[in-house]
Amino acid sequence: MITVTDARKTYGDFVALDDVSLEIPAGSLTALLGPSGSGKSTLLRSIAGLEDLDGGNVRIDGEDVTHQPPQHRGIGFVFQHYAAFKHMTVRDNVAFGLTIRRRPKAEVARKVDDLLEIVGLDGFQHRYPAQLSGGQRQRMALARALAVDPQVLLLDEPFGALDAKVRADLRRWLRRLHDEVHVTTVLVTHDQEEALDVADRIAVLNKGRIEQVGDPVSLYERPENDFVMSFLGAVSRLGDRLVRPHDIVLERDHATAASRQAAEGAVGPLVAARVDRVVRLGFEVRIELTADDGERFVAQVTRAEAERRRYTAGEDVVAWALRSEEPVGAGPVA
Amino acid sequence: MRTSRRATLALRTLALVYLVGLLAVPIVVILWRTFGEGLGPFLASVRTPAAVSALNLSLLIVAITVPLNVVFGVVTAIALARWRVPFRGVVQAVVDLPFAVSPIVVGVSLIMLWGVGGWFGGLEQSTGIKVIFGLPGMVIATVFVTLPFVVREVEPVLHEIGTEQEQAAATLGASGWQTFWRITLPAIRWGLTYGVVLTVARALGEFGAVIMVSSGFPGVSQTLTLLVHSRYIDDHNTYGAYTAATLLMGLALLTLLGMTLLDRKRTHR
Repeated sequence: MITVTDARKTYGDFVALDDVSLEIPAGSLTALLGPSGSGKSTLLRSIAGLEDLDGGNVRIDGEDVTHQPPQHRGIGFVFQHYAAFKHMTVRDNVAFGLTIRRRPKAEVARKVDDLLEIVGLDGFQHRYPAQLSGGQRQRMALARALAVDPQVLLLDEPFGALDAKVRADLRRWLRRLHDEVHVTTVLVTHDQEEALDVADRIAVLNKGRIEQVGDPVSLYERPENDFVMSFLGAVSRLGDRLVRPHDIVLERDHATAASRQAAEGAVGPLVAARVDRVVRLGFEVRIELTADDGERFVAQVTRAEAERRRYTAGEDVVAWALRSEEPVGAGPVA
Repeated sequence: MRTSRRATLALRTLALVYLVGLLAVPIVVILWRTFGEGLGPFLASVRTPAAVSALNLSLLIVAITVPLNVVFGVVTAIALARWRVPFRGVVQAVVDLPFAVSPIVVGVSLIMLWGVGGWFGGLEQSTGIKVIFGLPGMVIATVFVTLPFVVREVEPVLHEIGTEQEQAAATLGASGWQTFWRITLPAIRWGLTYGVVLTVARALGEFGAVIMVSSGFPGVSQTLTLLVHSRYIDDHNTYGAYTAATLLMGLALLTLLGMTLLDRKRTHR
């Protein structure tokens, strides 16, 4: 378990961490999610000891490590740009932590081969990092971090430098790996889809503060504020409320909309709007609209629904939402 | 920008004339004068006791200068690239000073510092170590003029490789020293190699600073450059000056060749 208490870090006038407190349960895979500059990487690097806190403390498994250097924190760290040791073979990279610890050669060789098999790099032992693809390099970096049996595994935007397909494959693979290895893992990402896909807990950060912590479903279904709502998944503004585009229902006229809304037990405004554009995106259809107050918004319906209703550009509709947030506060939505 | 065929041709000719006239012709002339009378006279001329002594002294100065500047250069480069150095701009300027200051000025100031009556002139009387007009003076002069090379070659490489590999090593349990030997040094080795090659070439060729602080006795305190000078000016031995110059050039070519071979090895990896 990792406990961060009142962590504070500033760079000149910029407050990277504004008295952040966070508990990361043992064995969990927690995502630190936030836009750039939200302090998520600084928080991760503070847990690793790569960044010194100005205030507050960090405990790993009960031990106060606030003033310990990274060497003595029992961590494994994976960098966005792999930080591969370029002059070493894959085997030497993965063996590095064990070689430093002067483990017997046979043990090192066995462990390295095991790890390379787990990360799917068996047979690449004698290659250099330059001869690997980005995804392979990152798996090598992961094997290297795991080789020293860390108490916690820290990943700083580990898939950020990879293309979309490889990224999706790797995070599913990371999830499976975590289910096997069960090491407490913290992953920094700015990609909400990645956080929802891979993590079992998400902490949303904004401007050096934690906005909300919880499991992916509760964060998505019950965001505590506009920021979390708009950062985790797409949102549309319907009247004075933020709603998920897939919760928007479009009817031909006001009366139908009102009766269906009542039947569903939903509350919120009924908004007259005109369809601007209908975009077919595989199994779902995105409908771009302009409300009669001039506000543009997007609704998302299934392909079947779109086929049935036959929405066309220029058509007048009335929109309502199955679920909506409380009325939008005064603060601007990031 | 598009240039006409004629302009291209004119520019190429100009560049070629420039290179040939300023670089190739003098070298060819020296080689021709040196070997014009055959290999025998050349070998005899570079095997005189004075020539052998000069060669040895030049190599000795290189052998002392290089390790000193490697250690100093690497430490300074790391400090400039990685640590929070106060007055960084001043340090950068000081490192570049030897590029800007004429070597003869260096020689003069060394005499003022270490010579009889200089600030540190008492050292010779109290310990008997002769700095000016002795080996230490020549080494200090050479160290001074070659000081920037290692720093200037290594520092950009340190910036380029960044700190992530070193941080990764730290998270894997490596101490500062282990990280330096296992990660940083291998990563900067090519920059360091270039720095050393340039240092060697410059140390061999140094003349202005060394002539000021050397007693200049043939067979005792003459480096190869001083030998060329004294053979030509003092002895009116033009042929001897050419042969010594050729020997000096040969060493420089060997250094360059070594650099090219290393470079090829690097690009092949």
